[in-house]
Amino acid sequence: MAANYWESTQRKHWQFTKQDLAAIRQRLDDEDPGLVQMFPLPQLRHLNIYFNQQINRLSKRIGLRQQVMATAQVYLKRFYTRIAIRQTNPYLVLTTVLYLACKMEECPQHIRMMTQEARSLWPSDLHGHDPARVGECEFSLISEMHSNLIIHQPYRSLLGVQDEFGLTQEEMSLAWTVINDHYMTDLPLLHPPHVVALTAVLLALVLRPSANTPAAGGAGGNAGAAAAAAAAGAGGVAMAATALAQAQAQVQARAAAIAAAGGGGGTPGFGSQGSQPQAGFSQGNSQGSLQGDSAAAEPKKVTDPRLAKVQRFAAWLADSNIDIEAMVDCTQELISFYECHEQYNDKHTKEQISRFIKARNLDK
Amino acid sequence: MNNHYHPTGHRDAKTYAGDQPWPQWPGVPSGLSSSSGLLQNRYYAAAGPFPLLPYLGELGAGPDTAMNQAKRQRAEVSYQQPRPYPTGRGTGSMGYQSKVRVTDKYKVVGFISSGTYGRVYKALGRHGQPGEFAIKKFKPDKEGEQASYTGISQSAVREMALCSELHHPNVIRLVEIILEDKCIFMVFEYAEHDLLQIIHHHTQQPRHPIPPSTIKSIMFQLLNGCQYLHTNWVLHRDLKPANIMVTSSGEVKIGDLGLARLSYKPLHSLYGGDKVVVTIWYRAPELLLGSRHYTPAIDMWALGCIFAELLSLRPIFKGEEAKMDSKKTVPFQRNQMQKIVDIMGLPTKERWPLLTSTTEYSQLSTLQPPIHHGGHHHGHHYQSQRQAAAANAGVSHLEKWYYNTINQQTGGSGPGSGTSPLASLGAEGYKLLAGLLEYDPQRRLTAAAALQHPFFSTGDPVSANCFEGLKTEYPHRRVSQDDNDIRTSSLPGTKRSGLPDDSLRPGKRVKEG
Repeated sequence: MAANYWESTQRKHWQFTKQDLAAIRQRLDDEDPGLVQMFPLPQLRHLNIYFNQQINRLSKRIGLRQQVMATAQVYLKRFYTRIAIRQTNPYLVLTTVLYLACKMEECPQHIRMMTQEARSLWPSDLHGHDPARVGECEFSLISEMHSNLIIHQPYRSLLGVQDEFGLTQEEMSLAWTVINDHYMTDLPLLHPPHVVALTAVLLALVLRPSANTPAAGGAGGNAGAAAAAAAAGAGGVAMAATALAQAQAQVQARAAAIAAAGGGGGTPGFGSQGSQPQAGFSQGNSQGSLQGDSAAAEPKKVTDPRLAKVQRFAAWLADSNIDIEAMVDCTQELISFYECHEQYNDKHTKEQISRFIKARNLDK
Repeated sequence: MNNHYHPTGHRDAKTYAGDQPWPQWPGVPSGLSSSSGLLQNRYYAAAGPFPLLPYLGELGAGPDTAMNQAKRQRAEVSYQQPRPYPTGRGTGSMGYQSKVRVTDKYKVVGFISSGTYGRVYKALGRHGQPGEFAIKKFKPDKEGEQASYTGISQSAVREMALCSELHHPNVIRLVEIILEDKCIFMVFEYAEHDLLQIIHHHTQQPRHPIPPSTIKSIMFQLLNGCQYLHTNWVLHRDLKPANIMVTSSGEVKIGDLGLARLSYKPLHSLYGGDKVVVTIWYRAPELLLGSRHYTPAIDMWALGCIFAELLSLRPIFKGEEAKMDSKKTVPFQRNQMQKIVDIMGLPTKERWPLLTSTTEYSQLSTLQPPIHHGGHHHGHHYQSQRQAAAANAGVSHLEKWYYNTINQQTGGSGPGSGTSPLASLGAEGYKLLAGLLEYDPQRRLTAAAALQHPFFSTGDPVSANCFEGLKTEYPHRRVSQDDNDIRTSSLPGTKRSGLPDDSLRPGKRVKEG
């Protein structure tokens, strides 16, 4: 269904578990293990960072919007669950996903112009390519995706909850960038868009850059400026963890109350993990204590408006039917991604891609 | 869309190089991941760090002996040269090959019709797939010359994408899409009839009205399909009798979503992309007046026109399309608008508050007010009647049109037959028609509201089979044998074989006036 995620092909055919994805990728690798060994590639998230950058570059040349880039990146992910990356020229695929996404997002671009721009952007990797190659790749792309081209993006969900949580412009744009970033992870293949959007909201609420909110962000106390920023980050992570744990505990408490028999509801695995890292952060701790009382509804003396907002958010989560486990997972993926980003090496990634393109004559 | 949230990527390549922290994000301490379950990443942990010894797997993870080193060097050499691996599936030089071939899976039994998009064939499954199929073949962009991939048209992309999402008994069902030999084959369930064909059948001598129970069922099913589309933010934009399929068991199916598109938060205004939407006879007044913000209401107007046509067996507003001029500006469709005004009266600010903000508003004053006489309007003597008519310019003659139509003795059931069968549709029929043909798109009935209309709850219950109780069977779709080769033929321009195209219809009607 076009506007209903629950009936969509996205939910029915393109939402995987991590195990599914791992198995799918293993199968692709197993199709030709020699090829995989001969042409090693960086880890997938680093490849995705690279692809994201390249899509950004091409989009900027043409003046495309974020929504188009987002759709293109989902196409790319879907395609590479069906075709081994080393069987393709990724630059051709990048051009094609963008070309197709433009049509789907109602801002069609001419295939000749697209090809031309792509070739001048990646001259050495696409020199042998003409528009017909993009057209051919489009056939392959649509065929592999079974014509499931309508993508439900978290951006819409985010706009939908803006008023619900009274998000400021700053929080909105931060959440927006978190969503932009999630296209570099597997999350679009793992979780529904609204779960991603809510996770982005949560992270935006807790990870606000400390520079803009010195009072709230200065969690690191007597640490230096750089450390303070880091501390705000870590404190924020802890806060996110506790907010989710709180919501989860509330849900479980309610479930336990309803079930009466009580199925060991009080021990969310996540909560205990979440309380560990914030030893040094007062905010994290004060929040962490919340998880003991399973009722966030009871008014707390919260002086920090940011905390209040996070608490309201957690209470809202508990009242909704949102899959909190999924949000926990999203949070983990995103944080883990930001961390892994630090090891990203642009040059190395580019070289490894170019190597198999050249060696296999995929540029011709 | 709020531009504020459209950073075209919030960091550039420089910050990606890794020597700077994220511009907006505080760095996450790297120690965190090992100490915190929060940061533990179960899946990626398995992927491991960079493969430092890339060829180790191939060569065996044994000790780094001289022999292994030699092997590794050989391996390094070998990837410099093309390896005997097949080049990429779909994207390599071997080219795209469909995994399924149309002719392996389907047996084409005849040619149904053609249009600007390509051709439609009737087919049967070769592997025992139940039922019959209509295969729509999109012609490659450039005919004649050696076909090459030129990119799929946006309307084909839209139709493929929408059809693969939509599932409703009153929307034509897509079975599969096969991309083969630079052509797109969309395989649909087959429908024996379409509304154009059914209407046409009733105009054949002796002319006889469509039974009221059939009309009621058709309208209900149409509205039902339309409601489904609209609740999913899909605008059909080209509803007309030729696009409404009817199966032999009387199920109505909205077809041809080639012009359909999603209406939520479009990146460009819906008006921007393709300016001319909806076959002109079914085009809503707000479109004719150049409205930029149109809504599902345009489909509802078209359904009103179709309802009227089911009653009278001729298009209610049969205007002549003004062609685009050399500057490619879209002209005001004066003739079409005049046809509407002739029956509906001139639209007024009172009936349609936003009327004055339409771009062609000024054109309205150049139209003739409807001339108040019973028969058909010829427009020759309007000068003399103009003053009198001007006073009544805003008065609608739709009610009169409706009762004239349903009470008309069509002669179909023989001389001396009693009241017209359509009379049973009564006053509720008029109210539904008037609700659909409401000038103001905001006040026009929505599909959901129309389904609740008393028209459907009064009188005989609505059947899910629009042919229920009929003694006669409609003629089957004509399928020609001229062109059965779905894979090779791509001749453009051959008209629908069974029935005259819309554009050829007027000729038939002249003698019936």
